[in-house]
Amino acid sequence: MTVTTTAIAGAEELEDLRLSVRSLLADKSDESRVREVMESDLGYDASVWRQLADQVGVQSLAVPEHHGGAGFGQVELGVALRELGRALVPGPFFSSVVLGAGALLAAQDESAMAAHLPGIAAGTTLATLAVIETDGQWRTHGFTTRAREDAEASWTLDGEKSLVLDAVGADLYVVAADTPHGPGLFLVESGAAGLEVTGLRALDPTRRVGRLTLTGTPAAALGRPGNGTAALEHLLDRATAALAAEQVGAARACLEMSVAYARQRVQFGRPIGSFQAVKHMCADMFTRLEVAEAAATEAARAVDGLPDAPPAGEAAAVAHAVCSEAFMFIAQQTIQVHGGIGFTWEHPAHLYFRRAKVSQLMFGGPAVYYERLLERWGV
Amino acid sequence: MTASAPATPATPASPTASSSSIEAFVEEASAFLDEHATRRPTGTGRVVWGEGEDRISYFGDEPPEVDRAKVDAARAWQRTRHEHGFGWITGPTEYGGRALSPLHDLVYDQLEAGYDVPDTGVISLIGLGMIGPTILAHAREEIKQRYLPAMFRGDAIACQLFSEPGAGSDLANVATRAVRDGEEWVLNGQKVWTSVAHHAELGMAVCRSDPSQPKHRGITAFLVDMSLPGVEVRPLRQMTGGAEFNEVFLTDVRVPDDHRLGEVDDGWRVTMTTLMSERASVGGEGAGPVERAVSRSYLTAMLEAMGLSRDAAARRRLAEVLADLTATGYLNQQSLRTLLDGRAPGPEASASKLMFSHNLAAASHLAAEMVGPRMIAETGDWGTFSWNELLLGTPALRILGGTEEIMKNIIGERVLGLPKEPGTDTKAPFRAPTGEQS
Repeated sequence: MTVTTTAIAGAEELEDLRLSVRSLLADKSDESRVREVMESDLGYDASVWRQLADQVGVQSLAVPEHHGGAGFGQVELGVALRELGRALVPGPFFSSVVLGAGALLAAQDESAMAAHLPGIAAGTTLATLAVIETDGQWRTHGFTTRAREDAEASWTLDGEKSLVLDAVGADLYVVAADTPHGPGLFLVESGAAGLEVTGLRALDPTRRVGRLTLTGTPAAALGRPGNGTAALEHLLDRATAALAAEQVGAARACLEMSVAYARQRVQFGRPIGSFQAVKHMCADMFTRLEVAEAAATEAARAVDGLPDAPPAGEAAAVAHAVCSEAFMFIAQQTIQVHGGIGFTWEHPAHLYFRRAKVSQLMFGGPAVYYERLLERWGV
Repeated sequence: MTASAPATPATPASPTASSSSIEAFVEEASAFLDEHATRRPTGTGRVVWGEGEDRISYFGDEPPEVDRAKVDAARAWQRTRHEHGFGWITGPTEYGGRALSPLHDLVYDQLEAGYDVPDTGVISLIGLGMIGPTILAHAREEIKQRYLPAMFRGDAIACQLFSEPGAGSDLANVATRAVRDGEEWVLNGQKVWTSVAHHAELGMAVCRSDPSQPKHRGITAFLVDMSLPGVEVRPLRQMTGGAEFNEVFLTDVRVPDDHRLGEVDDGWRVTMTTLMSERASVGGEGAGPVERAVSRSYLTAMLEAMGLSRDAAARRRLAEVLADLTATGYLNQQSLRTLLDGRAPGPEASASKLMFSHNLAAASHLAAEMVGPRMIAETGDWGTFSWNELLLGTPALRILGGTEEIMKNIIGERVLGLPKEPGTDTKAPFRAPTGEQS
């Protein structure tokens, strides 16, 4: 892989970044705003998106400097993702900045990066990744979507892509397809001939999902056709490390919410947090979160190639498993600590529960991520 | 056994110890270690199935003569360390210490972990790590001079005479009586689960001096010479079959008043000093038989050896165990980096402790599942029946050093700020004088 990180933030810079994202979101994207926009047509707040780009530069953090980014790595991106996860901010951040930009970087296609990364970094281009097909499996090879090259060396795609994050409204699709040379990645622009984009009813209203139908759709090869599997495996490390940061950010919000409620809710004449049954639930959530936090941190350091970090493939796979399990567990316990109120639509607990399940499944789910971990170790 | 509390460095950092002296210290310590010990082979740690020692136990469970020899080796190594200025790195110079910072101490531990030296846990975990700081904080000057240098030279092993049959998690419920008689105190009672008492020259006894006061008051702490008449140490055989712990019976033991730690009836505060001094043990040496067995290398070798490489259920269980194990390792490494950077460790140490017992139990049960029926009897096959020692030790890991439930209370109350459970027995006198048993 090429080195894309040229800047490293110190502890103080990271804290500044965290505070500026947190205060912007607290101000502009509180729970009531999130609920408003998640039910809107667009699905997110375009002005929050713009402010994240213009005021903090969140979209550009991990984009290389020579492509219009800040040149930071996963560690810095992770700080912002924790905050976005914490506030369950709807919007194409994960799809465009993590998956879209990540796919461009993983494919190492200089001209495609030069063409599209500056727009993604500025928040003006929305990219997303289309890998999963109608069987719902996340895979890195064996696609039924076919890419054909004509005499003029132009490519067209035929097939159906499902469970594509933020498909509706994206400007640019990175589509995985089989070619005569093996799996490849292709760029399809919105509005391309034969491209049909449909929104699907989603489990998590803060994370939109859609379907692409490609019928003789013109596409540009991203990297060398046949290199798709390697690029997707590499992207998966980056994406799961990023997801882990989002997961621990959201899980921490759940723990804080649960602890605050357990301190204040009185039953049998005392705060329920004084009962060991509830206190120990919170302690278990804390313990799982500490381990998940460590895994997410180590995965980011590993993807950035820090000298004392473990191999990226290992750390990302560990983080994906541990953070997925931890967030799901903590989201469930959050509802239990809250009791009846936690089961209402009005309470935010279900939004975290939904996000936890979606995060756990979007790259394959437990059976896949545990097996992937063993594969990364050659077991 | 000891209740656990967030680990804090044993002694305050000396203002003279700056980070710039670390380099010179490393050089000095390395030279010392090179001269007096041999380096561990820096292998890959890869386990080849069927090769190497087939002994996996958390507790020693060894014959008394082997146990005794190991303690002698520990004492000898501690003496060598002490003679060369590494016996008490953070201690005050007047008691034989070096007055360096906790960071120097940590750096030394890291260096020493690269050498094959005797395990000094029997001396250091409780005696030097917990009772030493208590003596330093609460004993009279002549007692400090008399015992601290001996302890750090390896001549005096100290144990905690804390837990009792009626005072486990509720340590403040101790009933061992201390009655003043002129310039002496007379101690009567029974202590239990006392680690290393069978090797100890000294004990720190937490006793009931005034039963008419509420339980947290009316406690006084003493330093007890374990060779005094009336001190009887009996081994306590635990469920593994071995006897790592003891019962200690105190019958009319006469302790001079100058051996009192802290003020009369103020022993709970003294006890807190001891419990708060529990040393942070992060990073780990990774070279013991438990670390070797509860590892990715060993467990994946076992998967293959048991013909389960393609067994989906076994693979899934293995991956779950290894994911937790590896992530807990990351947590410990991050704590260590924090300490080495000279920053205070966060509350993650309490999470790490809970994960440690969880991981060891999970790995042991996974191993049992992979081994199958060969766990139930000694068939002579390598890496099968041998897992029983660790398996039988794992329940203790959820109890010793503060039960899992007490740990969770500490996390809930001190880390998360949840309210304490209202105590029903913290205001009333410990025991009405008329109903008191002798």
